[in-house]
Amino acid sequence: MERKSLIKIKPKKYKNGDVVKINFMVMHPMETGLRKDKKTGKIVPAQYINNVKFEYNGKVITTINVWESLSANPVFTIYMKIDGPGELKVTFTENTGEVNETSTKIKPKG
Amino acid sequence: MQRREFFKKLGSAAAITAVIPMMSFAADAKKQAGPNEFSYEKALDVITGGKGAKASPKVSLKAPAIAENGAVVPITVEVESPMTESDYVKAIHIFATKNSNSRSASVHLTPANGKAIFAARIKLGSTQDVIALAEMSDGTFLTATQSVKVTIGGCG
Repeated sequence: MERKSLIKIKPKKYKNGDVVKINFMVMHPMETGLRKDKKTGKIVPAQYINNVKFEYNGKVITTINVWESLSANPVFTIYMKIDGPGELKVTFTENTGEVNETSTKIKPKG
Repeated sequence: MQRREFFKKLGSAAAITAVIPMMSFAADAKKQAGPNEFSYEKALDVITGGKGAKASPKVSLKAPAIAENGAVVPITVEVESPMTESDYVKAIHIFATKNSNSRSASVHLTPANGKAIFAARIKLGSTQDVIALAEMSDGTFLTATQSVKVTIGGCG
């Protein structure tokens, strides 16, 4: 299933050598497998993101192992050093084995 | 006589209806354990290899003292480090000590990050301690602890 995801870089204008903040957001229910459906009384099966990988120009800069205790619609905030123009790719895997990815272009000015 | 028997039956029926919800509640409490149960002590042992960790002012963990909703508790972990090839933070682990699976996230960093900061929002089942464990490149483990009071639990 396609998940809505977004990468935000703060500040918007940056130069080579700057350390910028990366916000990565996913629309995801993050079911723990403990919650009961109130209508049917059955336990909702667990479905959560278990791995997030940040790649900058093909080089892995950060990997995050995640378990079910992250909130629904998670936001991951990390920092990154700008090192020339290129692409930031984020790959995220779910416990069901599903893999999705999203990317954004890095364009430093000056 | 009929009236007396009727009251006897009514009494026993009332006792049964009072017991049944208690039994079902006990069954619910057992199910809460979940398939991924993992205690904080076990996780700490696995990550540090039995070495243990010590509290340090280098690690700062920002979390609200009182969280109204346990389903969304914002936390920020910052580790003081130059983040160079020779001295950087290898990983930041976040634990919620009383959740059935105490592990929340393990962030593996590299010198390319520039700053050792991680922020996310976690779920807390009840009032408990949140612990941040930083793994440095020289093999030491530093921790920071913050207790969070939860008024409404967020797990299940």
